[in-house]
Amino acid sequence: MSNLEQTVSSVALDPHREDNSTLSQKVPFEISRRVLQLLSWLAPVVLVIVWEAMAQGGFVSPQILPAPSKVIKTAFKLTTTGSLLNDLVVSLARAAAGFAIGGTVGFVLGTLVGFSRVAEAAIDRSVQMIRAIPFLAAMPLVIVWLGVGEAEKIFLVALGVTFPIYINTTLGIRQVDPKLLELGRVQGLSTLELIRRIILPGALPSILTGVRYALATAWLALVVAETIGAQSGIGFLAMDAREFLRTDVVVLTIVIYALIGVAADGIARFLERRLLAWHPNYGAAR
Amino acid sequence: MTVHIAPALTTASPAVVVTNLRRAYGKRIVIENLNLRIERGEFVVLLGESGCGKTTLLRALAGLDPIDGGRIVAPRRPAVVFQEHRLLPWDSLWRNVSLGLQAPDARQRAAAALSEVGLSERLDDWPRNLSGGQAQRVALARALVQEPELLLLDEPFAALDALTRIRMHALVRELVAVHRPGVLLVTHDVDEAITLADRILVMREGRIAFEHRTRTDGTAPITRAELLVELGVVAPSLINA
Repeated sequence: MSNLEQTVSSVALDPHREDNSTLSQKVPFEISRRVLQLLSWLAPVVLVIVWEAMAQGGFVSPQILPAPSKVIKTAFKLTTTGSLLNDLVVSLARAAAGFAIGGTVGFVLGTLVGFSRVAEAAIDRSVQMIRAIPFLAAMPLVIVWLGVGEAEKIFLVALGVTFPIYINTTLGIRQVDPKLLELGRVQGLSTLELIRRIILPGALPSILTGVRYALATAWLALVVAETIGAQSGIGFLAMDAREFLRTDVVVLTIVIYALIGVAADGIARFLERRLLAWHPNYGAAR
Repeated sequence: MTVHIAPALTTASPAVVVTNLRRAYGKRIVIENLNLRIERGEFVVLLGESGCGKTTLLRALAGLDPIDGGRIVAPRRPAVVFQEHRLLPWDSLWRNVSLGLQAPDARQRAAAALSEVGLSERLDDWPRNLSGGQAQRVALARALVQEPELLLLDEPFAALDALTRIRMHALVRELVAVHRPGVLLVTHDVDEAITLADRILVMREGRIAFEHRTRTDGTAPITRAELLVELGVVAPSLINA
């Protein structure tokens, strides 16, 4: 910024320069930003077109990588025959159930530990030790406990969700400005009002960060859980397609996982914009 | 609770009475044998150099710190304005002003308080859109909406620029004249004390070492220089010379 100002002022001081030169310095800067934005969208589109052309031209075997158009056709066919929508709903329901359970456990434990040093002493070390286990490594044990049914899949998702929510809830509550807590006492707030009016809103940015991380791990857990012993769901669709070398279906499931991941992130960002409208770093411009 | 809340008996009852107050951090005594009575409508300014115990006294009166001896008797919970505005960034201005207000018409009362400090248009605005002076005016509205009998001001103008501070002085004087709480203002600013106070107290080593009534006793107003001597900033010989 100061560099720019320096250049501008030195240009202005130079009597041999014309005014136009300062203008022409600014214009390419604005154009290049727009071009860059366009380029950022153009690149993936070109990639898909090249992919399509290669597949159509027979340079890539459909067994290795089917054409995008083929994948879209497959998506349409699977939707109309009914199995795709059903699998999608099953997967989403598993993710939602696991997220609700894991989120609740993480939030409750995080709140307890955030508020109480006693709870921290009692709970935190154990939770941190369990967290150190890559939760997917616990899968064989979970299968022994719960079999390969719905419970196992929901459990794995819940396990993956619990820790990011737990850590960020604790952190958020700890980071609430003690001066605001003091103010709450001066204004005569009860403990419950203090939590509702000051502590939870203060912790919310951190909690929502936890939600975003948790959404990512929820998907990861779901993909892995569904590739083992599933009878329905997107992951089952992919495994089933692999058996029959249906790479078009496999690519479709990968794309669906990606789209849902993007959608989940969008929801998280929407929540941040809505709930943190007051926050200079998150809130939408007035 | 360290502050004894006694029901107001008559209209002449004081805003606060402090008897033999003692406060120590470990072995270090910060306040010893301090007595203070503030009437309703009386504006008391407490001066003193850093570490003399004046903020400790204010925090004890606010019920924020425990006391180690003596009594503080106040008819109701005092209201406090701190050096920082301490507005909740996630609440609109009227929600901030009505924080802790147990009334069904909280919004109307907050609106009235905000218009008193000249911010009636900003009911639903966010604190982040306020200047420092505006934020401090909201903090003042939040204190006064509680209709306190004792208003504690902890260097509330220290972080403001000189012109804003002068405007705030006028506003505070106006509001105190209307609501008539007893006021205890803690400050470093000698001119502020002379401008605002009915009574100036200077605290030294945990006691009230000097007291001066500025408006009611008809004596000549205290000068800046005399106060600076009391504060130990200027040697007495410099004035007499």
